[in-house]
Amino acid sequence: MTRAGLLVLPLLALLAIGLTFRASFQEPAAFTFVNGTEPTSLDPGLMTGEPEGRIADAIFEGLTVRDPATLRPVPGVAERWTISEDGRRYVFHLREDARWTDGRPVTAHDFAWAWRRLQLPEHGGEYAYLLHGVRHAEALNQHEAQAMALAGPVREALAALPPDALDAATWRGFVLDHDLAGRVRGTPDRALVEAAASETGLTQAERRALPARLAREAERRKKAAKAAREHYGIDEGVYARDERTLVVDLVAPIPYFLELTSFYPSFPVPRWVVEAPGNAADWFLPDKIVSNGPFTLEAWRVGDRIRVRRSESYWGRDRIALESADALPIENQTTALNLYLTGDVDWLPNYPSDLVDALRNRPDHYSHPGLIVYYYRVNTRQPPLDDPRVRQALALAIDRRSIVDDVLRLGQIPAHHLVPPGIPGYAAPPTAIRHDPARARELLAEAGFPGGEGLPEIGVLYNTHESHKKIAELIADQLGRALGVRVKPYNQEWQSYLATMRSGEYDLGRAGWIGDYLDPNTFLDIWVTNGGNNQTGWSHATYDRLIEAASDVESYSQRPFFEGLAEPDRIRAGLLRLSSAKEGSARREAAAALRLGLLREAEHILVGRELPILPIYFYVVSGLVSPRVEGFHTELVMPDGARLPNLQNLHPLRGLRVRDRAARAGGPAS
Amino acid sequence: MSPPPVQSAGPWVQAWRRLRRNRAAMTGAALLIAMVIACFLVPWWLGLDPTTTAPGQRSLPPSWAHGFGTDPLGRDMLARVLVGGRVSLLIGLAATAASVVIGVLYGGLAGFYGGRVDEAMMRIVDFLYGIPYMFLVILVMLMFSETARGEALPVFLALGLVQWLTMARIVRGQVLGLREQDYVLAARVVGARDLRILVRHILPNVMGPVVVYATLTVPTIILLESFLSFLGLGVELSWGQLVAEGVAVVNPIESPWWLLACPSAFLATTLFALNFLGDGLRDALDPKSGA
Amino acid sequence: MIEALLVTAALLAIASLAFLPHAVTRALGALFLSAVAFVFLRHVGGDLLAGLVCAAIGFVAWRFLPGAILRRVAFMVPSLVLLIGVTTWLMYLAPGNPFAQEKSIAPQVEAALRAQYGVPESPLAFFRVYMERLLGEGSLGPALKVKGRTVQEVLLPALPVSLGLGGLALVLAVGMGLLLGVRAGMRPNSWADHASMGLALVGISLPNFVIGAGLMIVLALQLGWLPVAGWGGFRHVWMPALTLALPHAATIARLARSGTIEVLQQDWIRTARAKGLTEARVVSRHALQVAVLPVVSYLGPAAAGILTGSFVVETLFGIPGMGQWFVKGAINRDYSIVLGTALFYCGLITSFNLVVDLLLAWLDPRTRQVA
Repeated sequence: MTRAGLLVLPLLALLAIGLTFRASFQEPAAFTFVNGTEPTSLDPGLMTGEPEGRIADAIFEGLTVRDPATLRPVPGVAERWTISEDGRRYVFHLREDARWTDGRPVTAHDFAWAWRRLQLPEHGGEYAYLLHGVRHAEALNQHEAQAMALAGPVREALAALPPDALDAATWRGFVLDHDLAGRVRGTPDRALVEAAASETGLTQAERRALPARLAREAERRKKAAKAAREHYGIDEGVYARDERTLVVDLVAPIPYFLELTSFYPSFPVPRWVVEAPGNAADWFLPDKIVSNGPFTLEAWRVGDRIRVRRSESYWGRDRIALESADALPIENQTTALNLYLTGDVDWLPNYPSDLVDALRNRPDHYSHPGLIVYYYRVNTRQPPLDDPRVRQALALAIDRRSIVDDVLRLGQIPAHHLVPPGIPGYAAPPTAIRHDPARARELLAEAGFPGGEGLPEIGVLYNTHESHKKIAELIADQLGRALGVRVKPYNQEWQSYLATMRSGEYDLGRAGWIGDYLDPNTFLDIWVTNGGNNQTGWSHATYDRLIEAASDVESYSQRPFFEGLAEPDRIRAGLLRLSSAKEGSARREAAAALRLGLLREAEHILVGRELPILPIYFYVVSGLVSPRVEGFHTELVMPDGARLPNLQNLHPLRGLRVRDRAARAGGPAS
Repeated sequence: MSPPPVQSAGPWVQAWRRLRRNRAAMTGAALLIAMVIACFLVPWWLGLDPTTTAPGQRSLPPSWAHGFGTDPLGRDMLARVLVGGRVSLLIGLAATAASVVIGVLYGGLAGFYGGRVDEAMMRIVDFLYGIPYMFLVILVMLMFSETARGEALPVFLALGLVQWLTMARIVRGQVLGLREQDYVLAARVVGARDLRILVRHILPNVMGPVVVYATLTVPTIILLESFLSFLGLGVELSWGQLVAEGVAVVNPIESPWWLLACPSAFLATTLFALNFLGDGLRDALDPKSGA
Repeated sequence: MIEALLVTAALLAIASLAFLPHAVTRALGALFLSAVAFVFLRHVGGDLLAGLVCAAIGFVAWRFLPGAILRRVAFMVPSLVLLIGVTTWLMYLAPGNPFAQEKSIAPQVEAALRAQYGVPESPLAFFRVYMERLLGEGSLGPALKVKGRTVQEVLLPALPVSLGLGGLALVLAVGMGLLLGVRAGMRPNSWADHASMGLALVGISLPNFVIGAGLMIVLALQLGWLPVAGWGGFRHVWMPALTLALPHAATIARLARSGTIEVLQQDWIRTARAKGLTEARVVSRHALQVAVLPVVSYLGPAAAGILTGSFVVETLFGIPGMGQWFVKGAINRDYSIVLGTALFYCGLITSFNLVVDLLLAWLDPRTRQVA
């Protein structure tokens, strides 16, 4: 028995192995890259994440696309567009020859339906908020849930509070627990807004009037949600004027709106495929998908690769150089690097950070700044970290230069602000952050902890990762030496870390933020009271007002405020320029400048006074790309000759070319 | 016919004598003791500091100042390897001890009673195998997360929890065979109580496989700990962790080899020593070999 | 706390099935078998036909299958149900959920996703949804982090990869392990013993990610004999199989050595030697059978572990196998994948332990006499 088994078993094993090869590709793709992880979905209305985005950009196309060399939005499915005088109405004219892979024309209806689908609350699109600036979108997406909360739990909780005046602490607690500021955001009821922002509590009269106000607000939101459901994507907000004309109405001008139309949440979706029976959950798999981009999804083998192939039905197929491309879901960075070194992979967007010194002088190495900030959240809910002086002391005791030069070593920029540099038109505000251990000790003494005495141990939470660990250990060491506090770095696996951050059971916690679009707002609207990603417990009424003002400059200009601003004169000047600019583009520019000024004020509160977060450094994106790949832009050259870094780290497959495979035989490994 | 051990002190003394004569085993024991001293006493004695960073001295190869070189943050590798050894040794030995105690008792009882009791107990083991241990580890870590940020205790608790199952199966398999042996039957005829038969006559006879499997469990656990650390479920500083860090930086382009070689050498030496000591113990405890 | 007591009680209840009369457990096993078959067959042939077929299966099983197997089935089915319950409970106790990401999602989005994927907020409700889907549709549910696919669609293509690779590794491990172990055990404490054991020990003295990385650097990068990673030809198989096999080979060698030493001291071996048989013959004909007993005990769980793949080996060598899902399921809180892999693993290990127990009884002359 044993002898027979010894022969049969290996044969069986080899047979089983051999059978699995049938499913693999024998022919390599024209271009192969490491995509990091397996995409969780390729439904543009549901997905999030960079690996997903690289594939979606290849197989779908939005109204605009990014020019590979400048990353500015250029015509995609829309061949041209007009923007109204006030910047609120965009009319997109779709090209005639845009086709889905099943031969149907891409119409304005496809966009209207996809945009509507993204906002439907029962759909669950995580990036719905990006298009909340479109009229009705936010109402459709959120108002119904908010109305139900206001009319239900919030009202009941309010009824449980004493019926007379409320002191500051009770009221702040209520507002934070029930996200009152968030749930009435944008209401026309000024009294409600002021109550939600009140730092002093409520008077008896205000308290008495509150239930009725909440009920009215709930009613208003319910109505708005109903109207949005009836009209959004159909005849208001976003709609098809005809087959080839898409109209978008914005609540307020959005300077980066065109960029959003090249981002996957705004991609069209083939309604007839998604709504076919049995397709709702898996219409984006290779055997079902119908797409409209320069590539088609040929195969998706989980754990092995995704292969895309040049689409025959794409309107601009002549401009696409790549015949096919493979995306490998390799998570192990060392393996990925080895694959690159043996020439099996042409593009490696990441490599083990320890190898910076060994790799950065290679000719095929690239690096450029990214729109990403690495920072620590401070849990401001409990002492001693509720004291801005203590937070500032921590910020001053961190030697960012040492972190950047000794650990990261790739020209990362020490972050004394939150918003990464390089956003056009945005000037960073004055900051209180620098490396100054002496001043840090003074501040700590002022706060009542001379020499760190009396401070409890401070934990530094990070999710498990080699470089987070190094930075946390270095910062712990720096804080300990500079301030005499005991600092304990500790790690948790990803989901526990997320849950711990959300529940606020940490002291300092590592975090990073990738900008969704090229605008300071993507970094600043996080920190509004009870914002989903705030998680520091920090709440600041002026900050909230500034963020809201920036979202609608015209309303701000009608009801401006200056209290709590660092440089009110700058804002006044901006207002003056806005009121003197009457006609179209000049007014739009003045409004945009004022808007950036308001955001600058907001950032000043963050990094100049309050420090609920400790920025550490701004990322540098680095990787390896084979010399046989052309059209890979790490530096963008604008039409006016200006050179900008590829901040958003976009390298669309549509713009890549490869020299023939023979060039690879010599191997880039040498 | 192998005679059952009769006196209470005798067999242990004999075993000790046999062990002393086994040169490989004694070398292993000496190495282990040296390792324990090195990890637990030397850092304290020499005032080694595994956490203080010195960015100016990053990734230095071994030298007189830093016997094992420095890591990318400029910390002394000798200190890190020695202090990391504390956690690995503690976890390996403690979790193994837990798994031996539980596994031997459980498996011994199941095998000794046999039949339906055995079946019932073994089906419980089958069931426990199925539970995704990652969640047990996550939960144990969480239970202690407030008090022990990155401390070792929860990790070895969690590891001990999942390691006794195979030990129980092995012991049970052995006991199932032994309980029908003549000397056990003889003891039964004489009227010895169950527990006495199990402890005095059967368990000593399964010590061979138990010791062997236990010495295999130590490395398994040390390596499992490194895997868990790698996933973010482990502790801050251990050999497994250092090895994982080391392997990430070693590649054909540039090799700070000492980052991998030093912890690996300590790990491997310990495991070799344990292995030879384990074999020696097995031989020494085997009541037949001395007869 | 109440949940913990409930689980313990349920586990004891299942264990106490052992004390039922043999005829009852036999019938129970047949009943469970046909019920499981029914759940999966009804989608193929409709309720009536499936019912008839399953009744027939049940009857045939009851009449002809060995009692040992039927009894295991009688335990296995309720165990698996309990496993679903316990795992669900543990998953919900663990922080995080399948929809949590770095950028937090709006509550209404989370509610919509929970409704779509059948992941309610309470573990009890989830258990109900899961069981209804399992029994009603015979499906393991939608994978939550590989959207658009069910758990079976994720795991089934990975299964032959892992089985094949694991089978090969198992053969390598048993082959190398027995060779080294028996050789060492024949001359304990000799030079050959220490050399064999030293060689075997390399496999467990270093973590497999170190061994795998070492193999990769030498065989793929420096010598260029084998590809670095990937899956698509037999040249991709050898490094992962070896990496997978080495630690097990070491363990098997150690167990085999100990077993060999033990058995060579037995009286009946002495008798065989006294009869003038050569040492090689004594070992191969008489001793090996008993010497491998501990190895066989170990092989049950080990084989289940090897055949279901390994996270480290699969991520290191880029192999689309099953092992990664055991870890990714837990790390991502992909509840469906976690349950799917747990059920699969528990079923596999129960079956393997059954095979091992039968094998042990057959190999061991001592237990054979008894049985």
